[in-house]
Amino acid sequence: MKKTTRLMLLLLVLVLSACAAQPGPSNSDTAPVLRAYPVRYAQHFTLEYGEGYKKLTVTQPWAGATEALVYFLIPRGSPAPKEAGSAQVIETPVRSFVAMSTTYFPFLEKLGKLDALVAVDDATYAFNPVVREKAASGAIALVGGGAGGGSVNVEKALELQPDLIMTSASGSPELDAHPKLLEAGLPVVINADYLEQSPLGRAEWGIFIAAFFDLEEQAVQDFDALAQRYEAAKALTENLASKVSVFTNTDYQGTWYVPGGESYAALLLKDAGARYIFEAQPGYGAAPLAFEAVFDAAKDADFWLNVGFASDLESLLAMDARYVEFKAFEQGSVYNYNARVTENGGSDYFESGVANPDIILEDLIRIFYPDLLPEHALYYYQQLN
Amino acid sequence: MEARPGIMPTVRKPSTRSWALGLFALILVAAFVVSLSLGSVSIPLKEVFGILLGKPTLRASWTTIILNFRLTKALTAALAGAALSVAGLQMQTMFRNPLADPFILGINSGASLGVALAVLAIGATGSILLAGISTAGDLGLALAASIGAGLVLGLILLVGRQVKNPTTLLILGLMFGYAASALTSLLIYFSLPERIQAYTVWSYGSFSGVTWGQLMVMAPVILAGLAMTIFLPKPLNALLLGEEYARSMGVDVRWTRVFILLSASILAGTVTAFCGPIGFIGVAVPHLCRNLLRSANHKLLLPASALLGAALALIADVLAQLPGSQFVLPINVVTSLFGAPFVVWVIIRQRKGRTSFSI
Repeated sequence: MKKTTRLMLLLLVLVLSACAAQPGPSNSDTAPVLRAYPVRYAQHFTLEYGEGYKKLTVTQPWAGATEALVYFLIPRGSPAPKEAGSAQVIETPVRSFVAMSTTYFPFLEKLGKLDALVAVDDATYAFNPVVREKAASGAIALVGGGAGGGSVNVEKALELQPDLIMTSASGSPELDAHPKLLEAGLPVVINADYLEQSPLGRAEWGIFIAAFFDLEEQAVQDFDALAQRYEAAKALTENLASKVSVFTNTDYQGTWYVPGGESYAALLLKDAGARYIFEAQPGYGAAPLAFEAVFDAAKDADFWLNVGFASDLESLLAMDARYVEFKAFEQGSVYNYNARVTENGGSDYFESGVANPDIILEDLIRIFYPDLLPEHALYYYQQLN
Repeated sequence: MEARPGIMPTVRKPSTRSWALGLFALILVAAFVVSLSLGSVSIPLKEVFGILLGKPTLRASWTTIILNFRLTKALTAALAGAALSVAGLQMQTMFRNPLADPFILGINSGASLGVALAVLAIGATGSILLAGISTAGDLGLALAASIGAGLVLGLILLVGRQVKNPTTLLILGLMFGYAASALTSLLIYFSLPERIQAYTVWSYGSFSGVTWGQLMVMAPVILAGLAMTIFLPKPLNALLLGEEYARSMGVDVRWTRVFILLSASILAGTVTAFCGPIGFIGVAVPHLCRNLLRSANHKLLLPASALLGAALALIADVLAQLPGSQFVLPINVVTSLFGAPFVVWVIIRQRKGRTSFSI
């Protein structure tokens, strides 16, 4: 029964495509692959090369997504390959780029393509000084509806006619920008870097971005060097006699969100040779623990990191006087990732940190074991005084 | 007041009254002890009492947990529960509306706007505000919320003296609330996700965020607000039968109204400032008291609401802490999820077709 239905469907498709007298949609999965970039750390994209095209697949565009998104990248002016079928086709190299997240800036900068950036969603919380300057002068347009998500200014985006709009997606149409943009016929690509928990996996998405500029060779070289630096730093902490203990985040009115043991933050701590107090918390989401539970577990921990917006111990204490009871606070072993922030609160850790996990790791090792990296000066992190 | 026994709510004998209040007080004490002894970290009851009596404990962290976490939380919950219930009772009587709550005049929205400004607008409108808030030390968020609530209260008092009809006041309060909420939404819309989280968690409400330093401010203000109600049973009983009737009883309606508004707003505003918007308790407890005591006499209802409100807030907080697990739930989730069916049950069981709200 099923087989017959499928056969009928196939027949229908064949007939229809013959009627259209054009190369009809065929199954893109069977496209002949000449070679593929061997993705090393990232889990949610693949890059393959076929005859006259590159095929980028986002295997999981958002948490819980059941279908992959496929993009065919072809040289500007050449016809769409028949393998593309109904998949999205994008002409490369792209000349104008719209970034709906600040985390794409450092990758563009590394490729020397920041001048292709014609619009961002919102520049209020951008850190990159070039982007901020251009946004202020109007050279970079604003097409978003605030950092809280919300509506995209489709009219503005249409007027710009960019070669590419890159955004992330949550999977719920009322929150996402891409359905409206796609509907308007704009070339939208979903970047799912935030789903990667491995710090190197997140940075590897630079190659995904570079593919649209036909600069992936350069990006692969950059990434290999970065991964080497990261692994070298990680190797320094492999034979430690004893490990320091660390906890993160702050209390919000009695609830303390604790990142899971498999989260991005926890993996960085682990690679830096620290014992994360809550490494047994399952998964990568943040669990809402009671303040007293965190206090009981982390009271005697050696270090306290990632304390929100606090930039000195006094303002941390102003949030909750009970923080003074932590040993890490008492000893002044409190570090925050806000050494590089703008007046508006735009944080470089959250912007370029994605592209530079090696520097974050070196920061952490320098904090935990200063003797291992005596030359390294803290970049994203600062000690609170 | 005894002149119209047919309309006037029945008042039980004094003995029954003190018996009921005594029972509520006992429940409150029991809830307080349970709240101190249950939490994410399991501490034996013997140790809990030992710590309270100043004896040395097995683990040093237990002393901190009991004295700096659970005791502050329990005191906060009790004060907040009492304050919200009394404020809710006053609003329900004054507006003669069973759905009125302590926040009906927009106090809540004002406080939320204050907090949103402090948490979300930092930077966007300049860092001066942040500096001001953080030098206020322990009182940062509470100060911001108090300013917001105070502004709305000021507006209401100003209008409250001009307006004759309480319904007009109700509508005006609603409009203030809408305006403040709109501004809050605008701030959220243009904020960083991490900051929105801080605001969102505040809006869930919590008794756990209050420290001793904050309690030193919160407790006296709430006790003062509660003390103000000592003068209110008679005027409230009279208002229950309408402003005309109250006037005929010799009650200065305009000044009574201002007095009620002031006391209820101080109570509700202070709780919101320190604990975030705590829903449900303020609506439900007055109804529970009316139904359990089968009375509408405020001489009985005011202290009963304070006692029962305090006890129920403590119990709700114990449930929110999910004793034995490390996790916590937002307090508003617990009050509404567990409280609503309970109140429905009490009202259906006790009503028997006659409304004790007497309107």
